[in-house]
Amino acid sequence: MSDLLLAGAIIIGAVYVLYRSLWKKRGYCPGCDAGTCPTKPEKNSH
Amino acid sequence: MKTAAVLRQALSPQKVLTVAVAGNPNSGKSTLINALAGTRLQVGNWPGVTVEKKEAVLEYQGRKIRLVDLPGTYSLSPYSQEEVIARDYLVREKPDAIIDVLDATNLERNLYLTMQLLELGLPVVAALNIFDEAQNKGYRIDTGAMEEMLGAKVIPTVATRKRGMEELLDAVVDAGEGAAERRPRKLPYGGDIEAAVTEVEKKVTDLYPHLAERYPLRWLALKLLEGDRQVLQETNLGDHHALAGEASRHLQQAHGEDMEALMADARYAQAAGLTREVLRKPEASRVELTEKIDRVVLNRFLGIPIFLLAMWLMFKLTFDVGNPLVDWVDGVFSGPLTRWTKALFIWIAAPEWLGSLATEGVIGGVGTVLTFVPLIFAMMFFITFLEGSGYMARAAFVMDRAMHALGLHGKSFIPMLLGFGCNVPAIYATRTLENPRDKVLTALLIPLMSCGAKLPVYALFTGLFFAAHSTTVIWSLYVLGIVLAMAMGIFFKRTLFRGEYPLFIMELPPYRLPSLKSLMIHTWEKGKHFLIKAGTYILGMSILMWFLLNLPWGVKDKKDSVLGRIGQGLAPIFQPLGFGQWQAASSLVTGFIAKEIVVTTMGQIYGKEEEKQEEPPTLGEDLKEIGLSLGKAITEAGRNVVATFGVASLAVEEDEKTASWRGALTEQFSPLSALTFMAFTLLYMPCMVTAVAFRHEFGTWKWFGLATAYGLVLAWLVAFAIYQGGRLLGLGG
Repeated sequence: MSDLLLAGAIIIGAVYVLYRSLWKKRGYCPGCDAGTCPTKPEKNSH
Repeated sequence: MKTAAVLRQALSPQKVLTVAVAGNPNSGKSTLINALAGTRLQVGNWPGVTVEKKEAVLEYQGRKIRLVDLPGTYSLSPYSQEEVIARDYLVREKPDAIIDVLDATNLERNLYLTMQLLELGLPVVAALNIFDEAQNKGYRIDTGAMEEMLGAKVIPTVATRKRGMEELLDAVVDAGEGAAERRPRKLPYGGDIEAAVTEVEKKVTDLYPHLAERYPLRWLALKLLEGDRQVLQETNLGDHHALAGEASRHLQQAHGEDMEALMADARYAQAAGLTREVLRKPEASRVELTEKIDRVVLNRFLGIPIFLLAMWLMFKLTFDVGNPLVDWVDGVFSGPLTRWTKALFIWIAAPEWLGSLATEGVIGGVGTVLTFVPLIFAMMFFITFLEGSGYMARAAFVMDRAMHALGLHGKSFIPMLLGFGCNVPAIYATRTLENPRDKVLTALLIPLMSCGAKLPVYALFTGLFFAAHSTTVIWSLYVLGIVLAMAMGIFFKRTLFRGEYPLFIMELPPYRLPSLKSLMIHTWEKGKHFLIKAGTYILGMSILMWFLLNLPWGVKDKKDSVLGRIGQGLAPIFQPLGFGQWQAASSLVTGFIAKEIVVTTMGQIYGKEEEKQEEPPTLGEDLKEIGLSLGKAITEAGRNVVATFGVASLAVEEDEKTASWRGALTEQFSPLSALTFMAFTLLYMPCMVTAVAFRHEFGTWKWFGLATAYGLVLAWLVAFAIYQGGRLLGLGG
């Protein structure tokens, strides 16, 4: 039972990491520092 | 009348001077801001748009100065988003002063923007940047005469070396506080235009005094004469064009040109005249180095072969430098790190499956991608070098000519070149294209460019199957991407995106030798996100894949796992392409998230438990071995740089090959099917991150859907042609 809970927690964590990095951050990625990509939403000053 | 003294008095010690920084792209504006602001720069967005906005507040001689970086523009005409942002900010916010960054090596062109800035009537300080290069070229610029003619302080600067920064800030403080001796000169448009400007100014003051207060009067009069739509809309003068309409019509008839062209000609004439007065160049007969190189590099017949050779050399150096370090990282991950992790999990008495998740899932997945990080950094270093040296702009120019010959829009090639690093910024870079149709067409072609994420896949397969010719094989894949992008461009232009494509002016900066520091900084900026990716969604996917390969719980054969069954279901599609195994199909499915995950998946599927050694080395022995092997790898990389045109170093030693999980790949793939698999990976579909960029940039999934649909069809057809063609030619199966 504890194994099942631990596995479930790990899977949820992995899915959250995917959601956050792929969707929430709008695919901020290598090369974006060159300035062509939109800035990350959390840094918006307006 | 407000005197400088009154203004100084009015300014409290806490008054923040707002200073806008304007300039042409490539004038060194960003470097200058970095030199002034250092780490105080804050990055955000301009309101309502996705153009980056940088700001910094500095303290200088007891005053606070707020620097606002405007987007780099060539003019203040309202055509591109950047121009509108810069213009709106200057007109509406009325900063205390403007720093106009000019490239001293390209004075005349940069002065066109200066002419427009002076029209705003705000205090301007001209930073004559890249002054050292201008001096090296033998240019003599009479800054005193320039100050006199512009009515603005002119400060020579070398932003890369932080030269002239104090003088610049002194001048900015003087200009911003109204203490400067000089006021922006009204540059005369001459004769009848000047008379028309005066007439409109008078009408505005008499009839619309509120507008005269809201806008710089001379600027407003010029815009009304030009018939600037945005200004007419904002001022609600749309129906009152009579204010300047009559004068405009008269001028157009008299000069035989429309007002906008007439004004642009006048400003160019002002810039050319001023340049003639203040700039002395060495003997005209002396051909400069840049021109000499360009005569060869941009030659009609040699241009493309030189571009292809430059790419080949880039890959050659990338692999010669990167590969010894790849072997080192691989050794550390598969050896000591795996052993230590296992030992740790045994020591904490963790369940067996958790240890397996850590070693096979995380180290087997993330570690496999991290193995190729030295290659990615090496390639980013050489791409940065080509960009910084000025050659990338020439590559775009050469391709522009080729694309025009095919009836395509050459400017599209600039975002496509960016796609070599990563498709995502390339998709966002399409916004530099004015026409929405051009944007979409270019974005559709970008996924065909080989991004850095595909490099681990190529490196894995070429290392195993084409060790002696790895550079040439990888170069061929990049060229295949470019050729297919051009072919698809022609196809789309004749079907979905019909119409004429405008010519455009491409800037060719002079050749420069980038400094090592700047190369390192930019390489790190480009490459660090591969590390971030490895720590975020590649890690997330590796964990999920481990579960997919081990569910149903306790499954004995990975073939019967969830991922195995998905792979088996799709495998027949790939049978005619030479890689109809479930492992290859599963890797391509997960590779949708990011192309590196193709390699990650293979690492997990083929990964085997290492055979137990009689006496595993101690921690100290492991650390010593890691240090020694790193030294060896660096020495080998250095030796390869020296003898760069020697033997390709990507060759994997035979015993190593068979000992590693990669050996299993050689049993399932032939050289021909490996080549087909790489071509399919290059073309088959944009990754998940690119999908998000498509949605974000175009506000719809439609274009991503089209890119995916045509990508899958094209990938299958090309892979089929390579595999079946190769078989027909007797190249194996």
